[in-house]
Amino acid sequence: MRILIVDDSTTMRRIIGNVVQQLGVAKDDFDEAEDGVVAWKLFQEKNNYDVVLTDWNMPNMNGLELVKTIRAKDKKIPIVMITTEGGKGEVITALKAGVNNYIVKPFSADVLKEKLDGLVKG
Amino acid sequence: MSMSQEEIEALMNGADSEPEEVTEVSDTPEQSESSSEDSLIEDNIDDILAGIDGMTDDEPEVSAEANIDDILAGIDGITDEEPEEASEDNIDDILAGIEGITDDDPIDGTGDNFDDILAGIEGIEDDSPSSDEEEESAISTADKYPMPIEAEHKVVNQLNEVAEDSEEKASQIFDVLSFILDENGEIENYNKEIKNFIEKQIELLESLTTKFPNVEIFKENFELADNLLTVSQNLSEKVNGENNKVFEAMELMQYHDINRQKIERVMAVIRKLSSYLNGIFEDDSDKPEVQIAKHISGDGSDTVDADDIDALISEFSD
Repeated sequence: MRILIVDDSTTMRRIIGNVVQQLGVAKDDFDEAEDGVVAWKLFQEKNNYDVVLTDWNMPNMNGLELVKTIRAKDKKIPIVMITTEGGKGEVITALKAGVNNYIVKPFSADVLKEKLDGLVKG
Repeated sequence: MSMSQEEIEALMNGADSEPEEVTEVSDTPEQSESSSEDSLIEDNIDDILAGIDGMTDDEPEVSAEANIDDILAGIDGITDEEPEEASEDNIDDILAGIEGITDDDPIDGTGDNFDDILAGIEGIEDDSPSSDEEEESAISTADKYPMPIEAEHKVVNQLNEVAEDSEEKASQIFDVLSFILDENGEIENYNKEIKNFIEKQIELLESLTTKFPNVEIFKENFELADNLLTVSQNLSEKVNGENNKVFEAMELMQYHDINRQKIERVMAVIRKLSSYLNGIFEDDSDKPEVQIAKHISGDGSDTVDADDIDALISEFSD
């Protein structure tokens, strides 16, 4: 499974990377991007991701814009928003933009595992 | 209010997960991006302001100016009932509201007034510092509030530095935790090798004990190997327990990111306030800046009286 992890915090990228490694994903099978611009570039270049895990608030291009940009090209790839934005309005906005699942920080590794399992099986 | 994971699940089950029309996205991506970002920041600031006692936000459409007025109105002692009054009068009102400040001698020099005010405020003492102490105090004040303000002294810059330093240190902590996990992995591998060896030894000693039941040493070593297998299993459990704690610590490090975002929210509030205050104090008039007087009667002992002037005139006349 190839995963793209997008978050402006190095620590968060490493935490998420650690969780996906616990799920059995090899270190070479996931890429990291610090904002939407870098993520979109990687997405276009590699074009082989199975899941995108993205933060919302980031510089240059935020997560919501990234989701919309990806959805304009690819309607099927599972996208999970992992963010501190915990308001109902934000969840609805993200869902409308095309995310498949939504996780509010702080989250436990089990929650992410569960969501990823659901996406992969679904 | 923040939503729990269960609420999100419920929302997702009920919400239409179909993405928005692509045309809408591609038509004006920049516009939607900026408006979305702006509204997010606005909402966050509104949340913070709503959290301050005494503040309400019944009229969300009111401009930022109105919000600032609300903040000021919420602070004890500050009233804005007569906005047209001169600023001096407002300051007098504020001072009058502070316990211990009286205005019995309003005609005194400005310096005296400040001394009186300071003397009236509890906790402030005037120990009459020596000239050296005064100089030192002036230097330390200059350190705290240097003029002109450099980039390094700006509060938002300082907060930004704090956030960046914190990010760097958090990454280093993560390095340490990752190192512990890697080392534990190595320990686990060594332990597996030891366990395999002990299991083989137990197998061998078990057959020897069965074949030679009268040889005591086989029986003793068999029991010892069996005990060592338990030790190896305990070691493995300890390492797993430690790994779980490290994973727990890694999860808790998410609060670093959450706190960083809280700092960024404070920075946004400060930026807004700064912009608002600049708007209040800026001078839109076309009048050129008037040269201001350096010594005005009543300022203190620096001003000359009539006798001083006469003395100076006579000195220059000689």
